[in-house]
Amino acid sequence: MFNMLDIYDRAVKGPIMSEKDFDMKVFLPNLKDVVKKYDIRYDKENPVPSDDAAADNLFEAGVEFLTRVGVYCQGTNRVMQFTEQEIRQVLKEAPGQCFPGKGKEAGVLGMRKPDESKYPWFHNGTGIAFSSEELMTNMIEGCATIAEINSISFPALEYIRGLPSVGGTPAEFLASIRSVNIGLQAIKRAGRPGLPVLNLISTAATAQSAIAASAPQFGCRPTDGWLCGTVAEFKLDFGVMTKIAYLKSSGCLVGAETAPILGGFCGGPDGTAVASTAYIIMGLVVHNANYQLHFPVHFRFSCTTTRDVIWVNSVSCQAASRNIPMPVIWDPYCAAGPNTKMFMYETAAYLLSVVPSGAPAFETSHPAKGVMVDGFTPMEARWNVEMGKAASKLKRAEANDLVKRLLQKYEPRIKNPPPGSRYQDCYDVITAKPIDAYIRLYNEVKAELTEMGIPLT
Amino acid sequence: MNKQEILEQLAKAVVEGDKNSARENAQAAVDEGLDPLEAVDRGLSKGMAVVGANFESGESFLPELLMAADSFNAAMEILNPLIEANKQKISKLGTALLATVKGDMHNIGKNIVATVLETNGFEVVDIGIDQSTLNIIEAAQKHKADFIGLSSVMTTTMPYQKEVIETLSEMGLREKFFVLVGGGPVTQKWADEIGADGYGDTAVDAVGVAKKLLEKKG
Repeated sequence: MFNMLDIYDRAVKGPIMSEKDFDMKVFLPNLKDVVKKYDIRYDKENPVPSDDAAADNLFEAGVEFLTRVGVYCQGTNRVMQFTEQEIRQVLKEAPGQCFPGKGKEAGVLGMRKPDESKYPWFHNGTGIAFSSEELMTNMIEGCATIAEINSISFPALEYIRGLPSVGGTPAEFLASIRSVNIGLQAIKRAGRPGLPVLNLISTAATAQSAIAASAPQFGCRPTDGWLCGTVAEFKLDFGVMTKIAYLKSSGCLVGAETAPILGGFCGGPDGTAVASTAYIIMGLVVHNANYQLHFPVHFRFSCTTTRDVIWVNSVSCQAASRNIPMPVIWDPYCAAGPNTKMFMYETAAYLLSVVPSGAPAFETSHPAKGVMVDGFTPMEARWNVEMGKAASKLKRAEANDLVKRLLQKYEPRIKNPPPGSRYQDCYDVITAKPIDAYIRLYNEVKAELTEMGIPLT
Repeated sequence: MNKQEILEQLAKAVVEGDKNSARENAQAAVDEGLDPLEAVDRGLSKGMAVVGANFESGESFLPELLMAADSFNAAMEILNPLIEANKQKISKLGTALLATVKGDMHNIGKNIVATVLETNGFEVVDIGIDQSTLNIIEAAQKHKADFIGLSSVMTTTMPYQKEVIETLSEMGLREKFFVLVGGGPVTQKWADEIGADGYGDTAVDAVGVAKKLLEKKG
C-alpha cells in the first residue's frame, strides 16, 4: 500500500500539464480507447446483468484505465501515475474489511459477492442539511433506534447562532464541532453511543476545519470514519491529501468519496462504468482508504436511479465485489422526495441493482436528490432497511426482472419528480412519529411490491 | 468541392468532432473564396446546433460536446484572421462570466455550463474555481459581462453566492449584471432567497434562463 508521502512524491514528480489538457488529451481519449478495447457496452434491456466474465472484463478495463490516466493533482498541476504492477500489488495487499464502531456497536464492514444472501452493512444517511438543531436531533435519534442500522451519518449544520457556516471561516469550524456534538448526543439518547459515524465531518467543507474539529476533545473517535472526496474526474487537491495524512496518522478510518458523473467527462454509461470501477481501485491506491462511499450520478437529473446509472451501478458493483477488496458503501440519490410512492420505487430499484450485485454496504437513499433542507425522515431509513434485506434474498437474474418493472413505474417521471414533504410536514415534531397518511402510503407501496414478488416480510 | 459541399463538410467535421477535417475544410473555404462568416454561420454553427440538440435530448454527452467545440475552434484559427482582415464580426448573444465561488474546488458543472453556453452563441469568460467575491466582480467589470454565473457544489460555499449579490448591491453594480446561480445543492428557492436573477437545474436550463433574461432586457 502507498502512504501519503509516497502519493505526495508522485504529485511533485509526475508529468506537468494543465487541467484542461488532462481532461482533453489524457482522460477523454484514453477512456474512449479503453471502452473500445474491452468492448464495454451498455445493455439498456438488462439493467442488472448476470455475467461474471463481463464483470471481470470491466475490472481489467478499470485497471488499464487507471494505469494509463493516473490522478491529477490540482496542487502541483502534475499527474500522479501508477504502474499496473503497483496497482495489482495494492489490490493483493488490501484487507477488504474494516472495523467501525465501539463497544457493542463494533462491527465488521467487509465484502460480499454477487448473488450472496448475506445482509449488507446498513449505513444510515440522515439527509444533507437541517434547518434547526431540534429537527436534526430528532431525526438522528429516530434513525439510530432502527436496530438493523450498523452505522450512521450526521447532516451538515447550516447555521450556528444564526450565522451561516461558510467554508473556511470560524463559523464553519465552530459549526463542525457543534454538529458532531449534537449527533453524538442524539445517538446516546437512542441508547447506541458506540454507533459509528461514517461521514465525518459533513459540516466541514475545508480540510482545515475538518482536521481541527476532529481533535479527540471534541468527541470524534478513531472508530468513526471520515470522508475524503475527489474532484470529478480523477483529481485531488492538497487539502484532501493533507486530511488523509492527518487521519492515517491518528489511526482513524478513512473513507474515499467518489462520484463519477454520467454524461460529464465520463460520457455515456459505457465510459462511466469503466471510470466507476477505476475509482474504486483509486480509493485503495491513492486514498489508502478503509472504505469507500461511491455514487455514480446522472449529470442532468442529479440522481442515481435512471436506467443508465442503475446499469453502471450494477456492473461496476459486480466488477468491484468480485475483484477489488474495498468495502464500498453504495450511495443512492433519488429524484423524488420523502413521503412519495416514487421515492419508494426508486429506492427499491436501486437496492435491487446493487445488493444482488455484491454491494458490501449501502447508504439509505437520499430523497429529492439530497438538496431539500429537512428532507429526510426515519421512515425512508426504515424502507431502505426493509428493501435491503429483501434484495439480499434475490439473485441478479430475479432482480433484473423486478428492476425493469419498477423502472416502468417511475422512469417517465424522472424529469419532473414529486418534491415530497419535509420532516416537519410528514412527522409530528413533538412525538417524533410519522403522520398517518405517510404510514398508509408506506404500507400501500410495501403491499404492492410484495405482490410484485419482492420478498418483503 | 463546391461551396455547398464545403459548408456541409464543415458541419459534419463539427458533429463528428474531427479536428483535422475541420481545419482542412476551413482551409478549403478560404481557398475557394467563401465568405468566412458564411462558413461559420452555415457550416460550423450548423454542426454545433446539431451537437447541441443531441446533447439536450440526451443522445450525446459532454465528450461529444467538447470535441465538437474543439473542432469548431480549430477551424476558427484559420477563419478568424480573414474575418478580422475583412473587419467583420461574429455576433454573440451576450457575455457570461463564470466562476466557482470561494472555498469550492469543483469545476465540472461549471465547465458543462460554459460549453453549452458557447455552443449556443454566448461569449464565455471562465475564471475558474475558488474565486473570491471581489475577483468575480472585477472580472465581470473588466470583460463587460452581461451575466455572472456562480457555481457552488457545497452547502458551506453557497453563502458566497449570496455574498456576491450583496457586494454588487453595496458597490452600486447590481443592475449592471444578471446573476445566475447553480450547483448540486442550489435550488430555485435558494436563488429566490438571495435575489439571484436566475437558476438552472441543469446546464441546458441555465442557457434557457440566460436567453430569456436577454430577451427581457431587449
